[in-house]
Amino acid sequence: MIFSAGKNISDNDRYMKTDVTIIGFGNRYMSDDGIGIRVIEELKKLDSFKEVELIDGGTSGTDLLFLAKECKKIIIIDAIDIGRNTGEVACIRKDDIDEFIKGDHKSLSLHDFNLSDILKLIKELRIDTEILIIGVKPKNINFGENLSSGVEEKIPGIIARIKKELNL
Amino acid sequence: MANNINIEVSPLSRVEGHGDLVINVKDKKVEELIFRIPEPPRFFEAMLVGKKYDEPSHITSRICGICSVAHTCASIKATERALNIKPSGQTVNLRKLVYHHENVQSNVLHVYFLAAPDFFGAGSVIPLVKTHPEVVNIALRTKKMANDMVRIIGGRAVHPVRVVAGGFTKLPTEEEMLEMRKMLKACYPDLEKSLKVLKTIDIPDFERETEYLSISSKDEYALYDGNIKSTDGWEIDDQDYLDRINEKVVKHSTAKHCRASRDSYMVGALARFNNNHEKLSDNAKEYADALGLKAPCCNPYMNNIAQFVEIVHSVDDSIRLIDRILADGLDEDRKMANIRPASGRGVGVVEAPRGLLIHGYSYNKGRVKKANLIIPTNMNYANIENDMKALVPGIIDKSEDEIKLACEMLIRAYDPCISCSTHFLNVKLINR
Repeated sequence: MIFSAGKNISDNDRYMKTDVTIIGFGNRYMSDDGIGIRVIEELKKLDSFKEVELIDGGTSGTDLLFLAKECKKIIIIDAIDIGRNTGEVACIRKDDIDEFIKGDHKSLSLHDFNLSDILKLIKELRIDTEILIIGVKPKNINFGENLSSGVEEKIPGIIARIKKELNL
Repeated sequence: MANNINIEVSPLSRVEGHGDLVINVKDKKVEELIFRIPEPPRFFEAMLVGKKYDEPSHITSRICGICSVAHTCASIKATERALNIKPSGQTVNLRKLVYHHENVQSNVLHVYFLAAPDFFGAGSVIPLVKTHPEVVNIALRTKKMANDMVRIIGGRAVHPVRVVAGGFTKLPTEEEMLEMRKMLKACYPDLEKSLKVLKTIDIPDFERETEYLSISSKDEYALYDGNIKSTDGWEIDDQDYLDRINEKVVKHSTAKHCRASRDSYMVGALARFNNNHEKLSDNAKEYADALGLKAPCCNPYMNNIAQFVEIVHSVDDSIRLIDRILADGLDEDRKMANIRPASGRGVGVVEAPRGLLIHGYSYNKGRVKKANLIIPTNMNYANIENDMKALVPGIIDKSEDEIKLACEMLIRAYDPCISCSTHFLNVKLINR
């Protein structure tokens, strides 16, 4: 099935579901840091995402380089120190990524590279993949198996946002 | 010239990297040196209690995204030993194969992405895309190869899901094995090019003799299995690690410091090389010679070179392992061993990319009763501190930037989990 990626990106861009990769970063045993992983787990339960590549990226950021190279559109879900309030969800699109890099906002999940550095590398390497980052401001990133309530309650909204993005 | 120096590092805003480094030098003598990061294993040890035998490897693989295969294998080995599970030879060979490539993934990341910018005078890997594009491309190609190897065997590029207690949930196919062999063969031109580049870099001239610990085997360059061996002349069965390795609480850190024969020891690629260099492939030995790496080597900065030599060895040995597995034939009947939830104690010791990794479990009727985990970064703490104490007075006359870089490079050379915080030292010189 071919579907439009939505009005927020170029009208000329059209993707197969199989052209899209969604990756969640984080550590599920570090409380809110696991938000990216939890969203991926929830998406895996949904029939509408059966043909979309869903990746539990753990905490290894450099792999994003390879994934970005191999797909036309990538959606990244991560705990990011951005915004003011716990659970605040920020969507950063291609046009905003330069600003995001400049702000040096910290991904709280990656063990090898900062997300800003990975994005800089993607840019330097001229990898021309459509990127959407969905960042969630965490409350607690200490060791623990559960998300804070203020973060957990954002999951349905994040999934709705992704569905809208992909016209699912 | 400064007689006094005060280096302070604020807590790092990274999940595994809330690190502090404090160095105070007065009259050219180190008065105080504190290096500390928190200790995730204590949380995981508590979390494992009560878990069924098939859960610990998946849980502990999440301790670190760069060492997930190492934690998986240490955990599985501890469980198998405790429950008297006997994995097949096929399983062990496939584990060794996947194991090589986490080591390659991690060593590539460290040598090319984190350490190389120091050697080329760049602030990070990003400017190298323009100034040294071939280095970046080699790094990307080699990392991709290692990722694909781990994904094909383990089911995912990180946090492998097919590698479980007793064996594998799914075997690679013969076609996949042949494809991996091709991928490995394709690495050699890049290894040659890397050798040429690495020959041109200047490694800081600093030596401090210390104790080096690693696992060791009479059969091979040990990464997955072996006795625990020290350059101080002793070797023990891995089940007896508590006879020699002591954890000690120090007042300035939540992490415990480890000791063996002396007040500190080093683990990691250089320790492995010092203990096991004779077991490297002939090709890797030639690379080591060409890069001036000779055992015993007491320059911690040479850990980066040892990591590169290990990449060469892992490529060579992987081809050997694939040929052996294919010659034996992949056999579904040997995919999983029988498991009977029992009681007992077992220890799993492996070489994580950054050094000795120990999981010790006690089981009661198939459920974890007690767990003890010792990670390599903890083992290296005290040795890093001792290296710093030796290094700083000798470079006190250098410029602020040079002191800062030497300190950063020394910590990075150990490839600790906080190495991701690539440039983190705030150097403040006083009384200048």
